[in-house]
Amino acid sequence: MALSRASGPAARLSPPPSALSETMKTAEDNCHEPYLHHLAQRVAHNLQYQHQWTAISIHTNSPLADSHLLPRPIISGLPPQRIYVHPDEQIELLKDESKRKAESTASKPEGPVPEREWVLPAHLKEKWSLKSFAAIFDEIGTVPRDPDDQKQDRDDISQSVGTSTINKWRTIKRVMLATVDDDGTIVYYIVHDGIVKPRQN
Amino acid sequence: MATAVTLPVPISQVAGRYFLYNADVVTFIRREHHITGVLIGNLPQAPQQNIFSGIPSELMPEEVRLLVEKKVAYVIEDAARHRNAFRNMSGSERMAVLAAFDKQGREAARKAQNKASKRQEEALKRKGMTAAPKVRNDSRASASSEAGVDEDEILFASPANSFPTPTLASTASQASVSVNESKPFGITPAMSYPALSPPTPPSESWPTSIPEAPPSYPLFKYLHDKGYFLSPGLRFGAQYMAYPGDPLRFHSHFLAVGKEWEEEWELGELVGGGRLGTGVKKGFLVGGTATDSVSKDSNTNEGLGDQGVRAFCVEWSGM
Repeated sequence: MALSRASGPAARLSPPPSALSETMKTAEDNCHEPYLHHLAQRVAHNLQYQHQWTAISIHTNSPLADSHLLPRPIISGLPPQRIYVHPDEQIELLKDESKRKAESTASKPEGPVPEREWVLPAHLKEKWSLKSFAAIFDEIGTVPRDPDDQKQDRDDISQSVGTSTINKWRTIKRVMLATVDDDGTIVYYIVHDGIVKPRQN
Repeated sequence: MATAVTLPVPISQVAGRYFLYNADVVTFIRREHHITGVLIGNLPQAPQQNIFSGIPSELMPEEVRLLVEKKVAYVIEDAARHRNAFRNMSGSERMAVLAAFDKQGREAARKAQNKASKRQEEALKRKGMTAAPKVRNDSRASASSEAGVDEDEILFASPANSFPTPTLASTASQASVSVNESKPFGITPAMSYPALSPPTPPSESWPTSIPEAPPSYPLFKYLHDKGYFLSPGLRFGAQYMAYPGDPLRFHSHFLAVGKEWEEEWELGELVGGGRLGTGVKKGFLVGGTATDSVSKDSNTNEGLGDQGVRAFCVEWSGM
């Protein structure tokens, strides 16, 4: 086997591209620098295969009415479970749970419904400023729209956001900042556009 | 509860740092204006003390600036004022001040004496003895026990007047005791008025000089206006710590860092701050003045304050 491969044509010497490289090559968007696009591809790949996110889409233009070109591609997707629970919502959930326990109903406690999140890809070596974060926040909505919903009538979209019901605690924009390092590590931090009291994990 | 404070209050500037020496002012500023300062006063007898510090309270330049802008306080150059005031003091005034201190010292010494003798009587009563008129001279046991329990007295009295340690007491008891009865305590007043006349605020041209503050001042003011108490953030490697109420009652919510609008910083800083903040159940907050302020939805934007300050909070996402 090894011998037969070595005796093949010279082009065969380079290994075939990995599945990830194949993904990276596909669908460059022509409106952003290729490295920004690759960064987004890489984060999307990580979300899908390491964190089991679904309905991932990469946005190149602002989802707001005027559809500006975004400073860089931004990802939206649906996590398998809720990523962020506002502290006040947490209190509400705990109250509900204790009430259920008091009524001794055997119904399983239902956790908070997963919500679509914005994911902002970035590299650890990049320099950011308050201005560049503001530029991102100014171009996105509070909750990302579900790509399936976009096919429906526009009127429907304005009434229901995504598949989940509207969360009354989600009033301030947030993105998950996906920071990529050269070794392949990707860390996710939530950045709020304003003052939001911290969670009491 | 506290005596009335006459506004505006003086803030002493000593060697480029700002201090409050009046306990009433410190509590007033904290209660009414949500400014805590940092108590840094130590006792000369306990130079290693690093908790439960007392007055003076040191203020950050940001805090001073905020108070001056609110016309609650004004800054006085402490060294210059003292130099002038004491140089221009007449001899009779000087004598009057010294006499007042002497009187205060005598009063304090007498009170300490009364307290000590009362304690001695009680100790003797417990042992079933009665206080003999010359008990001080012959009862060595009581003298040493007195010195033993009287650590407060040793701590707070001036060294010359404090009771000597038990070993000293046994050797030179009578002499030191008799001196003790007559000699007044040395008085170190926390404030230099009534010795001097109270400082008068600069009247019409005030405030002409707003004190300098670091570039992060807009963020400080923004958070303060939102009702947060701010303290220096060195403990968590940040610029400020933001408490939702008085720091004596609440844990802090945010580790705050001020930045210029277009100042560039590495993402590692944000990741590190976010991770540390989450580890101690706080948020990492970074903010500054939006100098361009062209954001189209500025009216609805929660993060945009009156002074155009915009802040972002960072938390670990948990994945």
